[in-house]
Amino acid sequence: MCGIVGYTGPRDASEVLLSSLRRLEYRGYDSAGIAVIGEHLAIHKDKGELAVIEHSLPSMHGGIGIGHTRWATCGRPSQENAHPFTDCSGTIALVHNGIIENYAALKKGLLDRGHIFSSETDTEVIVHLVEERNSGDLREALVSALSDIKGTYAIVLAMEGSEKIVAARKENPLVIGVGVGENFVASDVTALLEYTSKVLYLMDGEVAEISPSKVTIFDASGQTVRRVPEMVTWTAEDAKKGGFAHFMLKEIFEQPEAIRNTLIGNVDRLEQDEGVLGEDVPAIKLVACGTSYHAGLVGKYVLEKLGKIPTTVELASEFRYSSDVREDPLVIVISQSGETADALAATREARRRGLHTLAITNVVGSTMTREAEETMYTRAGPEIGVAATKTYISQLVALYLTAMRIGHRRRTIDADTLRNMRTELTSLPQVVRRVLDNSESVMEACGMIAQSRDAFYLGRNISYPVMLEGALKLKEISYIHAEGYAAGELKHGPLALIGPDTPVVAACMRDHTYDKMIANLSEVKARDAPVIAIANEGDEEIEQVADKVIHIPEVQPLFSPFPLSVATQLIAYHVANLKGCSIDKPRNLAKSVTVE
Amino acid sequence: MKAVILAAGEGVRLRPFTSSRPKVMIPVANRPILEYVVQALVENGIRDIVMVVGYRRERIMSHFGDGSAYDARINYAMQEKQLGTAHALLAAKGMAGKEFLVLAGDNVVDARFVSDLIGVEDGSAISVAQSEMASKYGVVSLDGDKVTNIVEKPTSTQERVVSTGAYRLNSSVFELLEKEASRGVMSLTHVLGSNLRKLDMRAVRTSGKWMDVVYPWDLLKVNAAAMTWAGLSIEGTVEDDVILKGPVAIGAGSRIRSGSYVEGPVVIGQGCDIGPLVTIQPSTSIGDAVVVGPYTHIFESVIMGGASVGSHSHISHSVMDEGTSVGPGFMAAGTTANVRVENEFFGLKRIGTLVGESSVIGAGVTCVSGTIIGAESKIADHATIRGTLENRSIVI
Repeated sequence: MCGIVGYTGPRDASEVLLSSLRRLEYRGYDSAGIAVIGEHLAIHKDKGELAVIEHSLPSMHGGIGIGHTRWATCGRPSQENAHPFTDCSGTIALVHNGIIENYAALKKGLLDRGHIFSSETDTEVIVHLVEERNSGDLREALVSALSDIKGTYAIVLAMEGSEKIVAARKENPLVIGVGVGENFVASDVTALLEYTSKVLYLMDGEVAEISPSKVTIFDASGQTVRRVPEMVTWTAEDAKKGGFAHFMLKEIFEQPEAIRNTLIGNVDRLEQDEGVLGEDVPAIKLVACGTSYHAGLVGKYVLEKLGKIPTTVELASEFRYSSDVREDPLVIVISQSGETADALAATREARRRGLHTLAITNVVGSTMTREAEETMYTRAGPEIGVAATKTYISQLVALYLTAMRIGHRRRTIDADTLRNMRTELTSLPQVVRRVLDNSESVMEACGMIAQSRDAFYLGRNISYPVMLEGALKLKEISYIHAEGYAAGELKHGPLALIGPDTPVVAACMRDHTYDKMIANLSEVKARDAPVIAIANEGDEEIEQVADKVIHIPEVQPLFSPFPLSVATQLIAYHVANLKGCSIDKPRNLAKSVTVE
Repeated sequence: MKAVILAAGEGVRLRPFTSSRPKVMIPVANRPILEYVVQALVENGIRDIVMVVGYRRERIMSHFGDGSAYDARINYAMQEKQLGTAHALLAAKGMAGKEFLVLAGDNVVDARFVSDLIGVEDGSAISVAQSEMASKYGVVSLDGDKVTNIVEKPTSTQERVVSTGAYRLNSSVFELLEKEASRGVMSLTHVLGSNLRKLDMRAVRTSGKWMDVVYPWDLLKVNAAAMTWAGLSIEGTVEDDVILKGPVAIGAGSRIRSGSYVEGPVVIGQGCDIGPLVTIQPSTSIGDAVVVGPYTHIFESVIMGGASVGSHSHISHSVMDEGTSVGPGFMAAGTTANVRVENEFFGLKRIGTLVGESSVIGAGVTCVSGTIIGAESKIADHATIRGTLENRSIVI
């Protein structure tokens, strides 16, 4: 989530701002910046970590300033899109959290009136509106600008020649820190605690004027509000992970919500025929990297089953080397960040070949959303753990919805089936919760994996790609070498490697592949490999071939990737935890890979 | 001042709605009960909150996180085994500060309820209210505003002054809790009741809102009482020829299809697909991503997120938990019935059917009034159901 800080007082503002922003780092961000007013307004901002920004900090002296850490929601992460923004004259600086819904219309008007924009963000329109309304009183200018804005915000403004900073709030947190001869403002109390524990919470619709000696709060009708400062009793170190041991575990447990949010955000278009999914294409090509690629592999089964449309899946880094065989597919590119370099290159390549493109991403306004013809958002919220969990599950939901939409348009599924699928999707949060409720018993099965150097993950049918992803999760955070295999391939090589030191995790869903899986596991068992089976609730037969069984709820076979994925995430998490690995920041890995 | 919210209990009497969530996370007008408590505290400037969590605690932690979305700071204290309210409070030892409030996380309260308690001058206090259900609470005897006695759950049918389970205490109470715990006394009412002289405890009659959900059907009453907003709030799509009357809220991404008739107070969550030709009457709440098929009539009911209801169904005075799926022609009318919970029998005037989460009900099923279907049950087509079914029941 984005972070806001502001300062006015006798100290060196740049120092206060950077130190306050560091307190908000744990929330995640992709770029940061500060504006300091000394003799003139100076801005320093960049993509990347605070440490980078600090390292390249020019000398910025002055006692008034504002700062921001940004998690891209509208416009890709870049230096240009980082906050603070200035007006055309470069004398007013602004930082903002939230979403300006009508920014496109406002921006058009501002451009027509000669304003020059430096970014792709929604935020920048606010500072130009303030510039137009400014006749010396920054607060009045902001209030006037806000009357034209539709959306949510926490805003902090500073202007050259004034020691006041101005703040406004609507549905985004903002709190004022009260000092002696100095005052502060931040999006979270945590950022202020180093300097003061006396705070004033701003309410929705209120605007505040903050100078070193005085804080004045105005309500929506412009009347001053009397409010006594509150004392904060907690320390900065509390709470960050909301009771969970790791961000990854927190995010694993947020998956029921993530599923629901992806669904809510896209389900109303299920019966619509317009857009790229309405195009009559002969095939579909899913292109992605890493975990998103695995989501794509699951998507292939679903698209072919529901849409009866030939579907291929390609690694984004390899797509460019493929020959254009004129099969004219719709290309669906999947990337959590929308900034993955290889996925972007693949999107461009698809367009160069004249193909229709659809992006599935978690970041509104990311580069990919501008490269692709159309975008579907997963709305999983920010993910801080490097190993993707909730963003992956929401990509699955997006792909299932896509398959249902295509099936509906191509009449390969009838209205009743569509409804049935929808019902199945809406009940998934409960299904996933039931897997999560079992987290402790999953842990019991993890001891035998934690001690080994290698592990195998086996599955058939739609469980096969899920097990590929399960193996990747284990590799990423526990550093155990893990291989995902289609169980039918066992005899074509890997069986030679299987023995008492190579635990096997197997997906044994009660569908038409069940008997074959049991046969495969018997072969594994005969070589003394420890077997951890993930099977449906009530399946007792499985215990004859497995050393440990993790039970998950039974759903329609097509939907089994959801509970199954969550079970494999829990395995990876608990194994890494048993080994004492750095779960949220595994070695050598970055959250989004923006180089090729 | 800090606040400690006791949120660790399961809420056994509310089964099947607590099969995967603690009682505090049961939604009332589409928001968990616990959210009302947090909001009431924050409105009084009490933002430093300790939640004592236990049963299904991840549900609470993943909903509230660090509290920043509520302008609060929430820390969690773990009560591994739910032995009692005194034992629960003890889990917050060292986190609560010198003076603090203790609130039950499973009661819907408002800001006034909290401010009444804060308003007392220094010292310990207990929040009290008149109740006809004295046998469910601690009955408080008073001399002026001084508490002279607390009797836990007496067999009384008269209206009495009872404890609302909210207190203002100071850190010295932890010593008492430890001493009593070593004797096996785990109920907060007991510990406070037997140490009244030491505590010099005063009673505050609350003028605010205090609603408790004791039995599953209380949910209908509390749900209706919590819908206090006025006017229309429509973020979703309302097709032509839909009639909306009174206070109706419709969330983003929801679609109300043509010919439907919605009479508020009604709240409909996000991403729902309702209709065409559906009638929804007061006081009903419908969660996120719910599907309701054509010609269905829903009246004074709670339909939680992810549920789906087939066409031509009638649901009144009923509760459908999250992810339940009901085929077409479902009949769950609310009339008089006798219902058993644990070992108590209740004669209820209007009660429909209570369905636990993720249950799947076939086509043409009729539920006799007062039916309770456990979570994850499966009911075959055309069955007629009565009485109480355990979780994971299968009816063929």
